[in-house]
Amino acid sequence: MSHSTEIDAKEAWSGGQSPFRVSYGKMMMWFFLISDALTFGGLLCAYGFTRHKYDEIWPKAEHVFTHFPFVKQHLPLAYVGLMTFILIMSSVTMVLAVEAGHRNDKRKVIVWMFWTIVGGATFVGSQAWEWYHFIHGTAEGALRHVWDPETGKYIEKVIHGANMTVNEYGVPQFANFFFFITGFHGFHVFSGVVINFIIFMNVIKGTYERRGHYEMVEKVGLYWHFVDLVWVFVFTFFYLL
Amino acid sequence: MEFHDDYPQYELMAHHSEEEGKKARRKLWNVFWIMLAITIFELIIGSMAPGHGWSGHLWLKVLFISLTILKAGYIVMAFMHLGHEVKFMKYVILMPYMVFMSYCIFICLNEGTYSSHPGNKAKLDPILVKQQEQLKAGHHAGATEEAHEGAAEEHHGEEAHH
Repeated sequence: MSHSTEIDAKEAWSGGQSPFRVSYGKMMMWFFLISDALTFGGLLCAYGFTRHKYDEIWPKAEHVFTHFPFVKQHLPLAYVGLMTFILIMSSVTMVLAVEAGHRNDKRKVIVWMFWTIVGGATFVGSQAWEWYHFIHGTAEGALRHVWDPETGKYIEKVIHGANMTVNEYGVPQFANFFFFITGFHGFHVFSGVVINFIIFMNVIKGTYERRGHYEMVEKVGLYWHFVDLVWVFVFTFFYLL
Repeated sequence: MEFHDDYPQYELMAHHSEEEGKKARRKLWNVFWIMLAITIFELIIGSMAPGHGWSGHLWLKVLFISLTILKAGYIVMAFMHLGHEVKFMKYVILMPYMVFMSYCIFICLNEGTYSSHPGNKAKLDPILVKQQEQLKAGHHAGATEEAHEGAAEEHHGEEAHH
């Protein structure tokens, strides 16, 4: 691309121009994404630390996430595979919207941003569905030591599903980290959909056509790809390993 | 009045022509197919793992993590256009993150051995250990047996309370 030509260091730092050759807004979006990535990095490190501590009894994802909508059989990890596909797909439509913006093609930007929003909303919905099944659990349930306030003792009881204190599928820490990390990521996806929608409305109104460039689409695109990037890691550490 | 400085207009520098756009789109779709292939490969290996006794092996972990980093590289370099930025920009974005995360991973691995020492082992609930053993042996058989056992226990507990 035309803007990628390298400049020599002496000239770049001598003032009058950005040595990074990016606009202020894009630079700040990158800075924000680094700080956000550090947060997720810290969370995943804590996850790995705890998982190592309970290595022998940490639940396997293929025993936990076996449901698929409208299908009675057990299909381990099939639905999360589909969710991953949807999010990668929406990342592609986003980058195509950015590419169309580089050609000032308003119609194409609208089309591709629309599909990005549809993909993002589908992903958030899928995550809500996955949470629902994780919280409700299986019909069989599992035996646990549960605190009984009436007798003031731990009693053995069959529990269904998972919450912050008990988890049908294994150690409660698994549920804690699942809720926190996928929840934090899901909130990022949700806010990404909202921001995408605002920018989408601005594109339709012609705000960026008047401005002469679609850099706002590129900036919100950076955020959207970041959400996809985090999911790639969450997918590996929660579902595959 | 709008603010103007004599800085170059970086927003406009990303603009390209119709032909350049065609080339860029072809590249992006190629990246998409590569990422899709990697994800499907990961899922196939992941679903085959329990049957072949691969679960938890070091080579499987290394494989999954390196494929993940490969995918992350494609997202950052192609989709986020960091590959198109100048060298200074790449370093400013990637270096601080690499340094901090390497340190975080190092400290986790280094200090994480604390819980492996015999005296510091976490006390495991025997019910949880039994459940994981049953799950490894076979999901359905273990679960139903457990449920019957559990229901009886629950009933017994109620009686004792009355």
